[in-house]
Amino acid sequence: MIKNQKNVFWQALILTGIVFVIGLVLGSVLESNRLDEINDYYAQSEVSLMDILALNNLIDLEDTSCDILVDANFQFADKIYEEALLLEKYGDSEKMDDNFKFIHKKYDLLRTFLWINSIKSKERCDGDFSTVIYLYEYDSKDLTKKATQIVWSRILSDLKQEKGNEILLIPIAINSDVTSLNYLIEDFEISKFPVVIVNEEHIISELSSVEDIAKYLD
Amino acid sequence: MNFVDFVFFFYVFAGLYMLSLMILICFRNRKKMFNHPKGKPEPVSIILPCYNEGKTIGKAIESLLSLDYPKNMLEIIIVDDKSTDNSVEIIRSYLKKNKNIKLIINKRNSGKAAEPTNIGIRAAKYDLVALSDSDSFPEKDALSKMVGFLQDDKKVAGVTCAVLVKKPKKFIEQLQALEYIVITFTRKLLDFIDSIYCAPGPFALYRKKILFEVGLFDTKNLTQDIEIVWKLMANGYKVRMALSAKVYAASPKSFKQWWKQRVRWGVGGTQTLWKYRKLAFKKNMLGMFVIPFFSASLFMGVISLSLFIYLFFRRFFLMYLATKYSVAANTALLTLQELSFSPSILNFFGITLFILGTFYTLFILISMREWKSKYVNFHSLAFYLTIYLALYPIILIHALGRVIKKNHSW
Repeated sequence: MIKNQKNVFWQALILTGIVFVIGLVLGSVLESNRLDEINDYYAQSEVSLMDILALNNLIDLEDTSCDILVDANFQFADKIYEEALLLEKYGDSEKMDDNFKFIHKKYDLLRTFLWINSIKSKERCDGDFSTVIYLYEYDSKDLTKKATQIVWSRILSDLKQEKGNEILLIPIAINSDVTSLNYLIEDFEISKFPVVIVNEEHIISELSSVEDIAKYLD
Repeated sequence: MNFVDFVFFFYVFAGLYMLSLMILICFRNRKKMFNHPKGKPEPVSIILPCYNEGKTIGKAIESLLSLDYPKNMLEIIIVDDKSTDNSVEIIRSYLKKNKNIKLIINKRNSGKAAEPTNIGIRAAKYDLVALSDSDSFPEKDALSKMVGFLQDDKKVAGVTCAVLVKKPKKFIEQLQALEYIVITFTRKLLDFIDSIYCAPGPFALYRKKILFEVGLFDTKNLTQDIEIVWKLMANGYKVRMALSAKVYAASPKSFKQWWKQRVRWGVGGTQTLWKYRKLAFKKNMLGMFVIPFFSASLFMGVISLSLFIYLFFRRFFLMYLATKYSVAANTALLTLQELSFSPSILNFFGITLFILGTFYTLFILISMREWKSKYVNFHSLAFYLTIYLALYPIILIHALGRVIKKNHSW
């Protein structure tokens, strides 16, 4: 009996291999499509940032209204915040590759750039808005830290919803190894994460309610 | 890719492989599934071990007496394992009317089925011995459909048949009815690759001479019907299956009884695996397929449950902490946005495997003509495919715990 059936084991292995490889290829295509989508968003965000930098230069040269620059900063911050949520969602479901980690790093660099630019904008334009920088650890394995970060994200999201264009909310992952960000962290003498920096003056490391943070806003 | 993802990929591959193997075997042998060699009637001794089966022993004897088989070629030996109920009285009432029924009362209650079975085999007059349970009821043509397999090939030492649940009423019985059909059909598929690993107690036929040669049933094993097949295979013999021959068996009627029975199966299976572990990757299909398959199932069951517990409690603890912190910070924890989910490749693989498994089950139900049975409905199928099967790793851990504690009681 078995003599006639022996090759069924190999056939099953080949069939499984084919199904499995098809699955892996489809999975790879799916992840690649998601990566392309994020990359497209990133390319657009990069253009927006360049636009803001150009606006900065214009303000230096001419008597241009600061409102345009502040508006551009807000629009850009909102845009990359939405993209960050999408990036987080796709990144969590990425199983085949580590591409999302790299794109996360690129976004963190972009957000650091925005933070630096917002500091400059405030100095030049004396804007009536507050900056809320949220520094967190990406893909943390520490459960306590992870839980704290979940709650921080929620608090800051509520704060943004409540205050709208009064605050510029910029979440940045600190473990992306961005030199300029590392320099800023060192400059603010921050060693414990997650942490929230309000208007480059107040550093909040303990979980606080929306009302408590609102007290520090301009 | 982290360790958990890797384990999941491995499980998907293993699951797909087993499904592919079964589908291919089925496709190749689809016309032979219900075939059985035409055999000549040959004298058979039927052994019926009994312990406190007063409620069913009468019906069991009657179903054996009504077998469509020459009456002068049948001998029924009932071995009572020191019953404390009215079993012996009922058996005696049949002795008066039927000369071909014998009663042997064991000197002690052995607590397992193997000892009374061996006593019956030793007392058997004929070379073919059929083993049955006191709560099992073979169909009239079951025996005649099985005999031919033993006559067809001298290396065949045993024949098993389709074990089905008798009139499933309660939900737990309906689930078992579904399970028995899937197991029965799959066992027939394994027959085509000489890998039947169990000849269930409800009804099986053996050659007495070969049983003596291999040393009869292991009285210490809790699943003597698995152990005997492995022993026969280890000695170069084969066990075949007559899918068209049916026997209806009583199944546990409560969750507690069901759990106890499954743990016993787990303990017996593990005992058997340990006993024959040295034959792994050696000698015929026992070493090349059955032992590795059993070992892998056991190992994967333990790993999957451990991983599930780890991931569940990790998630639970994370949510507990997040809830605690969110209450302190006076903020809502869960929003609709957080409920949005982006499926990964692993989710797609899992869904594919589940769908294929469901189709496999449905295909079996249709092939076995059980599709229109009352117990086959959306609820029983859904519960069977999700919760019922998911309980097995837990049963396995319970059984392993008993093996480690050397608790081998029935």
